[in-house]
Amino acid sequence: MTGQAFFVLTALADGPRHGYGIVGEVAELSGGRVKLKIGSLYGVLERLAGEGLIEPDREEAHDGRLRRYYRLTRDGRGALAEEAELRAATARVVRARLRVAGTEATG
Amino acid sequence: MSGNLERRYRRVLRLLPGWYREQWEEDMVAAFLDSWLTGDPQADEYITKAAGPSWAEVASVAALAARLYLSGAGAPRRFAWGQAIRWAVLAVTLVEAARGLDALLLTSWSRHLLGWLPAAPASLVVSVPGGPWPPAVWYLVSYAWVVVFVTLVLRYYRTAQVIAALAIVPDLVQLLVGQFGARFLSAPVGPWAFWALLDLAPVLAMTAFHRNAPLAAPGRWLLALPATYVLVYLPLVALQATGNSSWLPDFSGLYCLLAAMACVAHAPRAWSRQAAGSGVWSLALVLLAADAGAYRIFSIADYLHDPHLITVCLAELFILLAAVALVAPDAARTARTAAPAPPPYPDTMAA
Repeated sequence: MTGQAFFVLTALADGPRHGYGIVGEVAELSGGRVKLKIGSLYGVLERLAGEGLIEPDREEAHDGRLRRYYRLTRDGRGALAEEAELRAATARVVRARLRVAGTEATG
Repeated sequence: MSGNLERRYRRVLRLLPGWYREQWEEDMVAAFLDSWLTGDPQADEYITKAAGPSWAEVASVAALAARLYLSGAGAPRRFAWGQAIRWAVLAVTLVEAARGLDALLLTSWSRHLLGWLPAAPASLVVSVPGGPWPPAVWYLVSYAWVVVFVTLVLRYYRTAQVIAALAIVPDLVQLLVGQFGARFLSAPVGPWAFWALLDLAPVLAMTAFHRNAPLAAPGRWLLALPATYVLVYLPLVALQATGNSSWLPDFSGLYCLLAAMACVAHAPRAWSRQAAGSGVWSLALVLLAADAGAYRIFSIADYLHDPHLITVCLAELFILLAAVALVAPDAARTARTAAPAPPPYPDTMAA
């Protein structure tokens, strides 16, 4: 799973969001490191929808335009949990190795 | 309110395929305008007059357009062609891989590496062409197709493409040396046709493989390799070993007959049109038959001295044409209309 897809799924984990809402949430989640352009966002959304990980939730009118909201599917929730677990496990290994390397360097 | 800004962004979105815009354009425009407009009428009026999509925004749409056009993902008809090309490439590499497996086993046998077998008959010794390359290169090239096939099936597409691209180089060099070294006197059409249709064409067509391309039942494709060897090459080896090699077709004839048999085997599904992916399979088989037929036609030039062999070649072509006629209507229908491809996103999104 790409970093962008991971952030988009995470942005939808606590409830449905519309396109620009996802952009804002991803920026916040990543501490401003990931700033999705609209073209990139819809590339990711199209892929995730194609894989059955997200689906449309509802449409709401806003300033004369329709905002389409997206939500995670059950598969999407599972894929996100799996990816989060994988990333957490990887982070644990990295931290452990850095600790060992740090101990060796100072010792 | 959003007139000019919206118009500029919609102009950029024209880079995207029509089918994609139908489903996503309004949503993209709404998200884009959300990213600019503040809700303050005065500020928004200025923004819509003066602002436009940034270069980064345009680049993101261009990158998305490139991916959609190149991958063929999403649009049913493009998907059908892409999938048919992928299956045809797999079928060609399967034939080449089975041939490589045959060369590997025969070489092992003739070099007494299969100790439990009696000595290999002289008729089964694998010969390698002379020329600039040592024999080891030819052995490696033969075996490389086994690796290409397996890596393709296992979805290591980049690895398969690199190995296949390397594997066709020695043949090309050999052909060029033969052609120019003999000052254009020796220009056999068959080897050039082989290189173009069975080496270069599959390598180029491998660009149709990408990470969004679904490849169903990889296990069955993997099993097809030993099955093809046992069902096709082993009987041929038996014929060779028993001195009946005059019954053997050349590789071009074998390729034609294999493509014809695949068409005949698929014909009931093509007629019933009930099985999933039947139309795409028909299209793939027509592509495969076109490749085999073209190779047969060009390689006839090497047999012009022998009327009997020409008759055999024409008979093989006739068998191929008759077999492909069984699946051609289904293939044509699939090429014209949408294929039974999985939708790119749930139907509910086509609002």
